[in-house]
Amino acid sequence: MYRVDKNVYAYKCPKCGQLHYPAPMRCKKCGYRRYPEQEIEPNFQREGYKPWEKTPLKGSCKLLTYTRLWNLPIGFDQRYLDFGLVEFENGIRASGRLLVDKPKIGMKLNVRVGKIKEFYGKVCYGLQFVKS
Amino acid sequence: MKKKQLLKEKTSNGVRKVGVVGIGHTKFGNLSDYELVDIMAYASLNAMEDAGIDGGIDQVIVGNMGAGMLNHQTGIESALVSTLNLEPAMAELVSNGPASGSSAFKMGYMAIVSGMVDVVLVTAGEQMRRVTGWEATDFVATLSHPEVEYPYGLTLPAFAAMFTRAYMAKYGLTERQLSLIAVKDHLNAEKNPFAHVQLPVTMEGIADSCHASVVNSYVSEPLRLYHMCPVSDGASSVVMCAMDGAARFKKKPVRIAGIGSATDTHCVHNRKDPLDLKAVRLAAEMAYKMAGIGPQDISFAELHDAFVILELCLAEEVGFFEKGKAIEAAEKGETEVSGRLPINPSGGLKAKGHPVGATGISQIHELVKQLRSEAEKGRQVKNPKYGLAINFGGFGNNVVATILAKE
Repeated sequence: MYRVDKNVYAYKCPKCGQLHYPAPMRCKKCGYRRYPEQEIEPNFQREGYKPWEKTPLKGSCKLLTYTRLWNLPIGFDQRYLDFGLVEFENGIRASGRLLVDKPKIGMKLNVRVGKIKEFYGKVCYGLQFVKS
Repeated sequence: MKKKQLLKEKTSNGVRKVGVVGIGHTKFGNLSDYELVDIMAYASLNAMEDAGIDGGIDQVIVGNMGAGMLNHQTGIESALVSTLNLEPAMAELVSNGPASGSSAFKMGYMAIVSGMVDVVLVTAGEQMRRVTGWEATDFVATLSHPEVEYPYGLTLPAFAAMFTRAYMAKYGLTERQLSLIAVKDHLNAEKNPFAHVQLPVTMEGIADSCHASVVNSYVSEPLRLYHMCPVSDGASSVVMCAMDGAARFKKKPVRIAGIGSATDTHCVHNRKDPLDLKAVRLAAEMAYKMAGIGPQDISFAELHDAFVILELCLAEEVGFFEKGKAIEAAEKGETEVSGRLPINPSGGLKAKGHPVGATGISQIHELVKQLRSEAEKGRQVKNPKYGLAINFGGFGNNVVATILAKE
């Protein structure tokens, strides 16, 4: 729940090449199974199954829609937060923090990974969309 | 003769017919002085009284989303059976987010259709006002994806707002038009004794006057306070039975004509079209098919308007109006109680309230009340034959459609 990795990844199915975000346990296109142990334990092998390739979500994207949220859930002490839903050039879509003054649907943005929350001293990183 | 009667009570494909013979409801609002199980028991007893029974329940099914988190209580289905002294009735809990109520109803239907039981009590309830608004918002946000949505602070109002923004950009809907839906819903809720907010609301108050932006401030832009439901406590309950045994109950059964449900991607961003509410469409199609009718046969509907935009979009997805056209029908008064196709005569989630787990059964309660012509003066739909309810789980990732018919 609290991401400490400073990268956010899309996952590529080794069989058909379909990209997923977040990682599924099974490819939505061809049904190929993913074994998460392959990403965590270097020596883990499953006969007949290749590990999924992790591709960092980066580069430019297009803003599909956005909001400024004034009523925040517990754990956030800002006055408001801006969110956007974007589409990357490879077709992957994601939601994240929007750090743009005057957002407009269809505008080009860049993505970066930054701090989105601090919880009991633990920093949580996630996607931030900034002006391109 | 008995055999003939039994055959008559089955549909053409041989499935056992099921009906609702009792309904119960608590007031929706702030019930934080009471225990959740007592609230649910209150609605259950009202339903049993309405059905004219004092026991004889084979199965109890409870719909609830968050008693474990909000009330620090688990096993509420067993607690409910015990407080009602209904042992040894079978009891299970069904949880499907804000669609828990309708899912519980669906399970009750399936239990009777299977032939395993004859009489089922389905009670759904939620108590959200014992925690702070921040905690309640966080609780509902736990429906979102734990890795790529929830940690960002994304909430259900934020998803609804992003959806609304995209809808506005595509179809030209305005904030003022959204307020029209809220005014209509509050007008209906004013006459509903169970409604959380029984206040008359005017366009001047929430949209047109110079003070409107203060009274009706943004929650998540472009959605304002009066564009979304209140946080409520409450419960609703129904007694369901096999139609072949319905004669022993006090009231004439209202037949369950169709039920459908469908899921969509957990992450909102993974939908091909961010404005496509596929699960709503598929659930409704399934229910229409089972009932052997189409959207043109529906007399009125209870649609899950936790955000007023959903009243419009759900009406379009279930086939009442073309995409982008629901607002025109609303502006012409077609969705008012006296209109061609009344929507949310109860006041909807918007004004009746939304104790998340309870909402589905509350919608069924309203369908039964309308089909029995028992609704209060000023909000009774004229000669209804079929009522449709859409109960929307998550942000459209698990939806249940129910069609009830007047026998």
